[in-house]
Amino acid sequence: MSGSVHDPALLSVFDALIFQKTVDRFDCVGDLPSWFPPPGLSRETELAPGQLLEHSFFLQHFLHEAKAWWDSTETGQRKSGLWSEPAVFGEDVVLEATAVRHGSLRYVILQRFGPDILPIQPLLQKAREEQLSHRQAVKHHERTRAQLGSRLAKSEQERDDVMAVLDGLGLGTIMVDANREVTFVSAKARELLQTDPDRIIGRSLVEGLPWKTEDRDRVEEMRRLPGSQRQAVSVVMDGKNRSATALEVEVQNDPRDPRKTILLLKDVTEMEELRRQLVGPTQFHNLVGKCPAMRVVYERIRDIATVDVPVLIDGETGTGKELVARALHQLSPRHGHPFLPVNCAGLTDSLLGSQLFGHKRGAFTGATSDHAGFFESAEGGTLLLDEIGDMPLPIQTTLLRALQEGEIIRLGESRPRKVNVRVLAATNQHLQELVDKGAFRADLLYRIRVARLRLPPLRERREDIPLLCTAFFEKSRVAFGKMHVHGIAPETMQRFLRYSWPGNVRELQAALEYALIHCRSEIVLPTDLPPELCDVSPAVQSLPFVKPNERQRILDALTQTKGKRAQAAKLAGMSRSTFYRRLTELKIAPEESSG
Amino acid sequence: MIQKKICMLGGFAVGKTSLVRQLVSGIFSEKYLTTVGVKIDQKSLSVRGQDLLLVLWDLYGDDDFQKVRASYLQGASGYILVIDGTRKETVDVAWKLHELARKAIGPVPFAILLNKHDLVDEWVVKHPMISDLSDQACLVSMVSAKTGEGVEAAFFVLSEAILKS
Ligand SMILES: Nc1nc2c(ncn2[C@@H]2O[C@H](COP(=O)(O)OP(=O)(O)O)[C@@H](O)[C@H]2O)c(=O)[nH]1
Ligand SMILES: [Mg+2]
Repeated sequence: MSGSVHDPALLSVFDALIFQKTVDRFDCVGDLPSWFPPPGLSRETELAPGQLLEHSFFLQHFLHEAKAWWDSTETGQRKSGLWSEPAVFGEDVVLEATAVRHGSLRYVILQRFGPDILPIQPLLQKAREEQLSHRQAVKHHERTRAQLGSRLAKSEQERDDVMAVLDGLGLGTIMVDANREVTFVSAKARELLQTDPDRIIGRSLVEGLPWKTEDRDRVEEMRRLPGSQRQAVSVVMDGKNRSATALEVEVQNDPRDPRKTILLLKDVTEMEELRRQLVGPTQFHNLVGKCPAMRVVYERIRDIATVDVPVLIDGETGTGKELVARALHQLSPRHGHPFLPVNCAGLTDSLLGSQLFGHKRGAFTGATSDHAGFFESAEGGTLLLDEIGDMPLPIQTTLLRALQEGEIIRLGESRPRKVNVRVLAATNQHLQELVDKGAFRADLLYRIRVARLRLPPLRERREDIPLLCTAFFEKSRVAFGKMHVHGIAPETMQRFLRYSWPGNVRELQAALEYALIHCRSEIVLPTDLPPELCDVSPAVQSLPFVKPNERQRILDALTQTKGKRAQAAKLAGMSRSTFYRRLTELKIAPEESSG
Repeated sequence: MIQKKICMLGGFAVGKTSLVRQLVSGIFSEKYLTTVGVKIDQKSLSVRGQDLLLVLWDLYGDDDFQKVRASYLQGASGYILVIDGTRKETVDVAWKLHELARKAIGPVPFAILLNKHDLVDEWVVKHPMISDLSDQACLVSMVSAKTGEGVEAAFFVLSEAILKS
């Protein structure tokens, strides 16, 4: 694999064939989806994605479109629309390609739609059949009408039918007359807008809709364009009592009267969410990772950043405690003021004391001038006391006073000075044990851990390893001028995934830098790795991948769904392909699962 | 071998998919199955000693629920407007799609096929209705995807026009 590194576990969730664009071709990345190869491609066809792209007329066409889009400044994603191509993929295989862009990376994602996830097919079919049979009815009706001369009833009937069909398709409808006044809001549209129709009907389009001004303006702009130049407008509605809803709004002319327009609203929240997960942020203020444990950390940081209290950050060495402290500072109202990290380990009492609180000239041997400490230098900002467990007891006492009174006294002075500093503390030791041993003041511990944050060690979040590798790889590649190195070989990645990482993220970063410096080929090979990663015992290898209760979880899901695997996969929170793989790996037989 | 892209355009259920199916595999089915998205088929043809590969883009019908994406027309050497002889409204749809195609790819050869000729007793589309359109077409023909009447000939004539143009 050349190109960049990816998180296969994450990608496999989408059960898609994912190509990454390099300079002159497209490379396949991540796991192959469960549906590949489709029936049209024989097993022998080697997976040369370039070949696949060559075979499919439609994909060739779409790549043209995608390239132009990548070069444009448009954001979001470019979808090909659904298509089938029996000569290449076999009968009844419906696919869709999506072009996305993430930083400098370009991807084409190929998804297969089966009948189960393609609810639009039967709906569309029904709608059209209904229209066809409706037309039959109308024909009949027309004859009657010639006798009765009544036209009104029919058109109303027709409208109701169309509305029923549109509602059935999940499309909300708003009709706007030539004066831009809203004349009709369908039931589905009311539901999507979550607003009283009386607030919209009879009012002008721009005033009535509960959207942001710029969204309303974009819809209005589309309304003014000729039909062929219109595009769907994405509108995000922040919910009052619910989460945000993403709508896609299409503006259409009323076929009977081009001065009137029809807005079709579609709820695309779920798709937006999926897309966000695929290309969405994997970093938070320089912290890299998107595993559940890290997401919890990010949320905690957001929650406590703005509350002006001390925070105790607890985590093994190399887990990124200082990055957390910086994020807390950045997100706090103090962010315009200094952030100062101080390491409390390895300094004598007087040296650490003077560093923190400052000293007067002559306060001790070597104090040749007046000196302001970190507490004063950080005025208005944040102080990080790293390795606070190593702080000598006398300094702990002074610190406690500083926290309680909000004042400090420089060494050798007697006049207290007011300080306004938020104190964050970090430790990799068990402070309660230190308290029990008498090495740490209990009252100081209670004072500094008003809020607490625990950072998981890397071995507890292995799924983030590929992501961390990508991040460090990209950073170091540029820094070391190793631009010719394009990626990390899968075997190398396996080593990274298997290693136990006692030194956590810092060790991983160092190992990757080491490998990059030693790398002579286009991709980072296992032989480039530092020696400790080269011999990994098999015991460590398999351990982290088996989640202890996974087997039970799968069995429970199968029991609940009476052995229906597709549903069970959903219940167990896995993609279908992962679920099937696990069944084989965990040797769960069909009898057992239906039991 | 020369490849030519041809788009099938027309309202829903006029018989676009059936016509392609009849041409490619000689099969017809009464059952109506709406086309989701674009369907791409291939057919090789020999026209005036020249081997041709027709790449047929069967675009989903154009109606209130789905609009044909103009970008799908890009690169087409010709197109076929399909009208259902039993449904008047399909003439208007064809007219609209013709305009869309003109805008997207300019004046390339196109054919107008009045389909479902086997149901000629139920026909409501009369020639004058399409006279505006038919002046510019390289072929106007009454065909039936069901019986196969006129189908292959129509693609043949269009291919010839494409090669000449
Ligand atoms: N009797 C008759 N029925 C036809 C003919 N062509 C298509 N149909 C029927 O019309 C319906 C729609 O055909 P289809 O090819 O799916 O239309 P399209 O996808 O909109 O182009 C189907 O039920 C077909 O069986 C024809 O020449 N004669
Ligand atoms: Mg069709």
